[in-house]
This record gives sequence, C-alpha cells and structure tokens, in this order.
Amino acid sequence: MMRAAPIRSFVGLLVLASLLFAFAPAGAQDELTDQTFFMTFVPNIQFASIYTALEKGYFSDAGIHLTMEHGDEPVGVDLIAAGQRQFGLVSGEQVLAARANGRPIISVYEWFQKYPVGIVYPENSGIETVADLRGRVVGIPGRFGASYTGLIALLAANDMTESDLQLQEIGFNAPEVMCVGAVEAAVIYVTNEPLQINNRAADGDCGDITGVEVFRLSDFTNLVSNTVATNEETAANDPDLVQGMVSAFDLGVRSAINNPAEAYLLSAVYVETLPLPEDLETFLTAAAEAQATFLEENPDADREIVAEQRADLLASLQEQFDADTLLQFQILLASIELWDADQLGYSDLEDWETTQTTLIAMGYITEEQDVSAAYTNAFLPAEE
Amino acid sequence: MQITMLSRQVNLRMPSSRALAPYLGLLVLLLLWELITRLKIYPEFIIPPPRAVFDTFVQTLLDGRLWTHTVTTVGQMGIGLFLGLVAGVALGYLIAKNHMLEQMLSPIIVAIQSTPVVAYAPLLVIWFGTGPTSKIVTCMLTVFFPMLTNTVVGIRSVPPSLRDLMHSLRATRWQMFTRLEVPAAMPILLGGLKLSATLSVIGVVVGEFVSANAGLGYLVKLARDSYNTPLVMVAVLMLALIARLMYGAVALLEHRLLAWQSRSRRQNSL
Repeated sequence: MMRAAPIRSFVGLLVLASLLFAFAPAGAQDELTDQTFFMTFVPNIQFASIYTALEKGYFSDAGIHLTMEHGDEPVGVDLIAAGQRQFGLVSGEQVLAARANGRPIISVYEWFQKYPVGIVYPENSGIETVADLRGRVVGIPGRFGASYTGLIALLAANDMTESDLQLQEIGFNAPEVMCVGAVEAAVIYVTNEPLQINNRAADGDCGDITGVEVFRLSDFTNLVSNTVATNEETAANDPDLVQGMVSAFDLGVRSAINNPAEAYLLSAVYVETLPLPEDLETFLTAAAEAQATFLEENPDADREIVAEQRADLLASLQEQFDADTLLQFQILLASIELWDADQLGYSDLEDWETTQTTLIAMGYITEEQDVSAAYTNAFLPAEE
Repeated sequence: MQITMLSRQVNLRMPSSRALAPYLGLLVLLLLWELITRLKIYPEFIIPPPRAVFDTFVQTLLDGRLWTHTVTTVGQMGIGLFLGLVAGVALGYLIAKNHMLEQMLSPIIVAIQSTPVVAYAPLLVIWFGTGPTSKIVTCMLTVFFPMLTNTVVGIRSVPPSLRDLMHSLRATRWQMFTRLEVPAAMPILLGGLKLSATLSVIGVVVGEFVSANAGLGYLVKLARDSYNTPLVMVAVLMLALIARLMYGAVALLEHRLLAWQSRSRRQNSL
C-alpha cells in the first residue's frame, strides 16, 4: 500500500509525458510531407537549382520535406512507377521507354529545355558543318544513353546516319582522347567537356588543339532531356502535392538562373568537391548580394538582361581566377543556358515526338505511343 | 539378416526421395511465384509472371542472343577461373612453405581480400580496357584469394607425423609434393575450388556490369535499361544455372578424387 502512491505518480508522469510527446511536436515540421526525390549520377553543380530550392526553403514552403537520393535512372523509374517513390529526375527518352514497357510514369516539369548533347571538334580542323564529319573518327562514350540518342538525332537532322562516321567508343574520356589526337571529334555533354578541353588547350596541354567548337543538337532539333517525373496515380490523386513539388522546383530553377553566384554558394553544402577557395567565396558572396539587391529593385528584369549579367559576372571572375577554379561555375552557367526559357518547365509536343522518332530509329522502342500522355504542363506555375 | 535386407531396401528408396527434394523445392518456388503474380501483389513490371519469363527465354534462345551472351560470360569466366586457380595455388603453396613470404605478403593479401571486388572493378576497366581482359582479371582476382587461403591451410594441415614418415622413407621433394601434400590437402583444396567456381560467376558479372558489350552481366544491364524485366530474370536465372553447374562439376570432381578417402573410411569402420 505504501508503494502505490509513487507508482501512481510515476504512471501519471508517464501519461503526461506521452501526451506532451504526442501533441508538442505537432508544429510546422510535422505538417511537412516526407518525399524522397530520386536523382541520377552523384551530387554535382548541375543540380544547383535543387540545392537552391532546398536551402531557400522552397520545398518546405510547399509543405515538402525533401530528401535526395542518387542512383541509376532505370531503378529510379521503376521505384516511381511502383509508387515507392513519388518524384524523381527522369529524361524524356526514359519516360517514353518506360511507358512503352508498362511503367505508368509521367513528366510534369521539363527542367532542361534544350538537350545537352553535342559534338565537339577542334577549331581550324576544316570541320564547318555536321556533314564535314563524314568518314571521320568520332568518339562516343558508348552506344547507350543520352550521348548516343543525341548523336542519332543530330545525324538524322543532317540527313546522316551512324554509318557515315567512324564511331569509336571512348568512355567518358573525350578531353583526354581528343587531346592526344585519337579522335577527330567527340560526342559530349555541351555543359562539360568543351569547357575542359578549352581549358587544357589554353594551358597548352591539348596537343595541337588551340580551342574547340561544338555542334549543339539543340541548334538543329530538340529532344526531351531531364524532367521531373511522377507516377500517374500521384498525378491523378494528389494534384496538390505535384503542384507543390513543381512550384518549389520551378522557384529553385528560377533562383539559380537569376542569381548563379548564390546558387553556387548554396550548392557547396551538397557538393563535397566543389572548388570554393576563400577569395572565390568572398567574390561570389558580394556578387550574390549585389544581384539580390538588383532583383529586388528590378523584379521584372527580362531574360536578356539577366543573361548579360551572368556573362559579365563570368568575365569579372575570369579576370581574377584561373580556369580550373572556375570550371564548375562555368558548368553551372552552361547548364543554366539549357534550363532558361520564356516559360520554365514547359513541355513541347514536337520535342516529345522527335524523341519518340529517334528512339524508334534506334530500336529502343518498337511501337509508336501517344506521346501527349507522357507529359503534362498542367502543374506548371501560372505565368506572371 | 531380415534387418539388413530392410535397411538395404530403405537405403535404396531414400536416395530417390532425396533426389526429388530439390525439384520439389523448385516446384514450390514456381507455384509461389505464380501465386504472387496472379494475386497482383506487385505490378508485372516488378515481378513478371513465370510464363512471360519462359516466353522471353524461348525467344532469346531461338534468336541466338542468350547463347551469344552465355558463351561470352562462360568463356571469360573459364579463363579467369583457370588463371585465378593456378595463381592462387602457386602462391598459396609458396606462402605455406615460407613464413617470411607470408609475413611479407599477408597484409597486402588481407587488404585486397577484404575489399569488395565491385569497389575496384572500375579501376580494372581503366587499367585493362573495356574488352574481355578486364573481366577476366576481375574474375581471376575473385577466385584467387579463396584458392590461395585454402591452399595455405591445406598444405599446412598435412600431419607432421606423415611428413616424418616420408622423410624416413627418403622421399624426394617431388614425391613429398605429389604423394603426400597434394592428396592430404585435396579435401581443403577442393573446398576452395567449390567456393571459387561459384565466385567466378560473380567476378565476371561485376566486370560486365562496369563496362561491356556482351555477356550475361551486360544483358542484365541492357534489359534493365530497356525496362525488360522478364529478360533481366532470364539472364539472372542463366547465371544461377551456370553457378549451379560449376558447383555440380566441382562436386563431381570431388567425388571422383576423394573416392579413396571414403573407401578408407569404410575400411576403417569395418
């Protein structure tokens, strides 16, 4: 009997603690929906817009607690299609291939407005048109993925086929292979390898090559590149969630386009290998603050002006920093060129049809499908 | 007498039911698989029905693709396994005989052995190219270490009394090796071979996953990239079959080579 009171007190405390535990955290954090966002490759500066959206709280403002997850694209597609993930980055060709094989996924935001593949060739090499590549040795990472798809589309747009070239599989080593003269041109990502080769050429570390030019696929035709995809069930049954995700993603892209210095600084939290020496950080911090002030004072600044500011920023940076230090920032700027458009995230039917035609020509898919069902612009933020 | 007859009858029946057990297990697995797909617990693109996998198997067999990729994998695996065995046994024997060599090499061997092959396979592709050599080397390294370890253990497990006996009979080194060490270490060597034979499949597939234009590992990757789950399963089942056949072949070899052991055990028990 003597022990009953302390036990009662203890039970009472336990109940009180449980009640507190149950009700206390019912704040802002619990209102967020947990979402794991599937991404390809590894953390790198080309995902700067997502890092920006995270750091600036756009996802949490949209009620989403976002965790990033990297992996192989087909795995991500299956996870999304099976409903184990609701969102991820999936390229247009994969959306079509997945749908052709029974995966109910749908693109809701076309992040890359231009396909990032092209063919790099040395300046002063006598190559002036794509037709000049006939019979030449052209390197390609392999007969797979976006590089191969982009090449087939680029050749088709110039009435050529793979057999017109001497294709050589070189892995993702275009700068090394080109600089030793083993290939005369190479299929590359326009945001990356041309910058690397140019930097090496400027250092006199690229054989006879003094500089390079690029045939960009997007100058001839366009395929659908990276998009934000979800599954049909989520798109149909949880439109608010999709809307929130798309809006946050869009704000991140918009923010990175308008203020790349800020996006670069925010990305440093996520990209371990991002070069950010103290002097560069100081420079970019000042540039980011100045740009933020400009945007505040000029909320309607148009694309061309902002693009000029990006070019000016790069020019100023190049006066003070060497090419290696700036390479990742240049990759960010080159990526921004591929995201930027009058309406961010907008999907064009013609691009999807061209993508399908290319995939059929490659034998990647066998039958035509209704490509208009593979994407929707319904969740894009309303144009201001 | 009657009891002996009865036990013989029982013994005669037992192997047949035992022999049926694996097939029964396979049948249960197939039925379970069919049931899962019929109940639509998972979408078909995650777990396709057995019929779809079978159809893909027949189709790829008829169009020659399965055969081409299987031959590539088996060829690379055979060479890698052979080289890995030879290298593992040779170095293992030297280490077993030389403690100085063991002390010198064991830190390196332990370091490499404890590193998953998948971690350094991309390096092997860079060093040995995207052709078959990198797959053969990956396979070779996968089988090398278990074979090396088993050889060291096997050679060192030879009873000293038997060594003394051979010495007293003035046996030469070669006689010591062929008449004592090899037969005495054989059970452990064959244990290593059994492990290596199955691991060789993993080794070659890891190499094909990193970079390849042919082989069953490449077929898995290709099928996955083109969202053809039945084809993924066909390639995986083919790999499982190869691994099982390899294991079976070594078990058969073991049965033949160690028949003397069973005979001597029986004689001792009598």
